[in-house]
Amino acid sequence: MNIARQIAGGAFRFRAYATAAYVPPASLEGMQRARPPPIKPKPESPTFYSGRANYYDQLLALEDAAKQTKHALQELQLLPLPRFAQQNLPPLQAVWKNKDDLAEIMEANLTTSRYRRLIGQLNQLNEYRRLAEVAGHMDLAVRIQHILEMFERENKDAILARGKSKPVKFDQYGRTYTVGRRKESTARVWTIAVQPSADEQAGSSSTTPAQGELAAPVSTPQESLLPSQPATGIPGFTSGPLSLAPAPIKVPTTNILVNGMPLVDFFPHLIDRERVVRPFRIAGLLGAYNVFALVRGGGSTGQSGALALGIAKALAAHVPEVEPMLRKAKLLKRDPRSVERKKTGRAKARKAYTWVKR
Amino acid sequence: MALSLLRHRAPAVARCSSLAAAGAARVRQNSSFAKVEERPLESPEDWTNFQLKRAQYETLLETFGEFGSTQTRDNTFQPHHTLHRPVAPKDVTLSALIASGAHFGHSQKRMNPNFVPYAYGVRAGITIIDLDHTLPLLRRAAQVVRGVAARGGSVVFVGTRADLRQPVRMAAERMGKQGYHVGERWLPGTLTNRVHMFGPEVARDEQVIPDLAIFLNPIPNIHAIRECALEHVPTIGIVDSNVDPRIVMYPIPANDESTRTAELISGLLSVAGREGVAIYQEEQAKAALAASKRARSREPFV
Repeated sequence: MNIARQIAGGAFRFRAYATAAYVPPASLEGMQRARPPPIKPKPESPTFYSGRANYYDQLLALEDAAKQTKHALQELQLLPLPRFAQQNLPPLQAVWKNKDDLAEIMEANLTTSRYRRLIGQLNQLNEYRRLAEVAGHMDLAVRIQHILEMFERENKDAILARGKSKPVKFDQYGRTYTVGRRKESTARVWTIAVQPSADEQAGSSSTTPAQGELAAPVSTPQESLLPSQPATGIPGFTSGPLSLAPAPIKVPTTNILVNGMPLVDFFPHLIDRERVVRPFRIAGLLGAYNVFALVRGGGSTGQSGALALGIAKALAAHVPEVEPMLRKAKLLKRDPRSVERKKTGRAKARKAYTWVKR
Repeated sequence: MALSLLRHRAPAVARCSSLAAAGAARVRQNSSFAKVEERPLESPEDWTNFQLKRAQYETLLETFGEFGSTQTRDNTFQPHHTLHRPVAPKDVTLSALIASGAHFGHSQKRMNPNFVPYAYGVRAGITIIDLDHTLPLLRRAAQVVRGVAARGGSVVFVGTRADLRQPVRMAAERMGKQGYHVGERWLPGTLTNRVHMFGPEVARDEQVIPDLAIFLNPIPNIHAIRECALEHVPTIGIVDSNVDPRIVMYPIPANDESTRTAELISGLLSVAGREGVAIYQEEQAKAALAASKRARSREPFV
C-alpha cells in the first residue's frame, strides 16, 4: 500500500526505507492506476447536518410563508396595523392539532420547545389570515388557509361551537320550543305570544284560530262566561255612583298550562308558582305570552325550576332585548346543583353517625 | 408609524434622517386628503377606504420624492445590506471590516497567547484585532471555499446563535445543492456517530462527511470542530482574541460577537462558494457534452 501511494502521488521523492522495495521503472508502465472510489450522492436537505432535517425544513417553509404573507400585507397597506384598527378584529380562534399528531405531520420527534416554536409560527400565520379576511382579500386568506388546514383539527368547527347554544326556532304559528332542566326534572315548554287584536273587541269572545290550539281551550270558556260589558260602569252596577265609573280595562293574561292543568292546580304552593312566573316579572312581559308545558321527573321544586328556565329561554328568543336582564337575574343559567351522594361511613351525604367515645 | 410607512414606499426620502421623517409626519397630520381618520373600522368599505388612504399617501411621497434628496435605496447604506447584498471577495475592503466592527476583540485579560500575532494592540482594556492580517486570511479562506466548491465539495455553514440563523441559511442557499447550514445546536456525534444518527443505509449510501465546515461562532461549537478534526474535515472559523487560532485550519481573526461581521464574512465566503459551484457546474456540463459526443461518435451511422 505504501508503494501504491508513493507511485500514485507522482511527485513524491522516493524514500530509502528498509521496508520499501525497489521497482524498476520499466515494470511500472503497464500498471493500472487505482480508480477513485465512486462518488456518493450528497444529502438532499440543506438542514441535513442539524440532525432534524424534516422538522427544520417544514419550520423554515412556514417561516418563509409568513414572510411572504407579511410582504403581501405590507403592499396592501394593511401592515403595520394602527391600534384603532385592531379593536374591531374578530377574536383569534385557533384549534391546532395536539403534539403527537403534529409530530406525525412533521415526521420528527417534537419536544416542548420545538412544539412551541411551531405553534408560534402557526399563530402568526393565523393572525395574517384573520387580517386578510377582515379586509376582504379572500384570495390571500384562502391561500393561507390551505397551509394552515394541514395543522388544524378536523373537528375544529365542532370544538369552536361548544358552549354556544343553538338558536331557538319559531314554527309557522310563531311558537318556540325550549327545554329547561333542574335537579332531576325536565320541562318541555311551548310559548306563543298573546294575540292583542282579540282583546280590543269589547264584549266579544276572543277565540281566534291564530292563537292555535294551545290557549284556545283555556281562554274561550272564560271569555264566554262573562256577560257583555257596557261602555261605562263596573259590571253589576246599573245605578248609583259606581255605575258612572269607567269600565275596567281588559288586561291580557298569561295562561300557563302544565301537563294539561292550569298552573294554580299543578303547583299548589305559592313559592313554586312565583318561581315559574319570575321570568315574566323580570322581563316585564306579564300577560304577553301563553305557555304550554310538559314536565317530568323530580319534585315540585325541580319541576318549577325547570319550567322557569324553559320560560326564560323562550322569552329571550321572542324578545332578544330582554336577554341581558334575564342573564343578570341568573334566570338563563341552568342551576347545576343536584342531590349530593351519600358517602360511606356517613348516614347521609353530610350527616355523620352519633359519635361514640369508646 | 409614519417612519414605517416611509421605510417601505418612499425611495427618495432619507430614512436615516429623523428631520425628514418628522416633516413627513407633519405633512400627513395636516393634509386632510391623506389623513386616515382614527375611527374603528367596521364594514369592508371602511377597510378599503383605510387601505386607499394609505396608498394615496405613499403615492404622494413617491411622486415628490424625485424632487428631494439624491439619496436613493441603491446608494444609501442600510443595516440589512450586509445580509442581503453580500460583498464579493475581490471587493472586500478594510473599511468594510471596520464598519462592521470586526476589529473589536475581547478584554485584554482574556487574550489567548497564541492570538498575539493577530492582535494590533489594546485600547481601553479591549484587544484590537489587526485587520491587516485579517483581510488576507479572509481572502485565503474564500479561495479555499471556491476551490472546494469547484471540485464538487459540500460546505456546511455553522452559526448556532439566534442572530446567525438567517445568515447561515442564506449562505447555504447561495451555494445551492452543495451548501448546508446548521442554525441550531450541533448535535454531538453528527459525524462521529453518524450510523446511529442517520441510520446505516444513509451512512453507507450517502456522503455524510462534508468537504468543508465554516464556523461563525467556534467557542460554543468546539465539539463540532473536534469532530471535524477527527473526520479529517478542513475547517474555517472566525476566531476572536480569547480563542486559540489553531483550533481551525483557516482562522479568520475577527469579532465573533458582532452580527454584522458574521453576515459580512458568511456572505463573502458564500459568494466565493457560489463562484466555485458555477465552475463545477460548467465543468460537469462540458463533461456531459463530451460524453454524449463520444457516445454519438461510437454509434453506427444509420
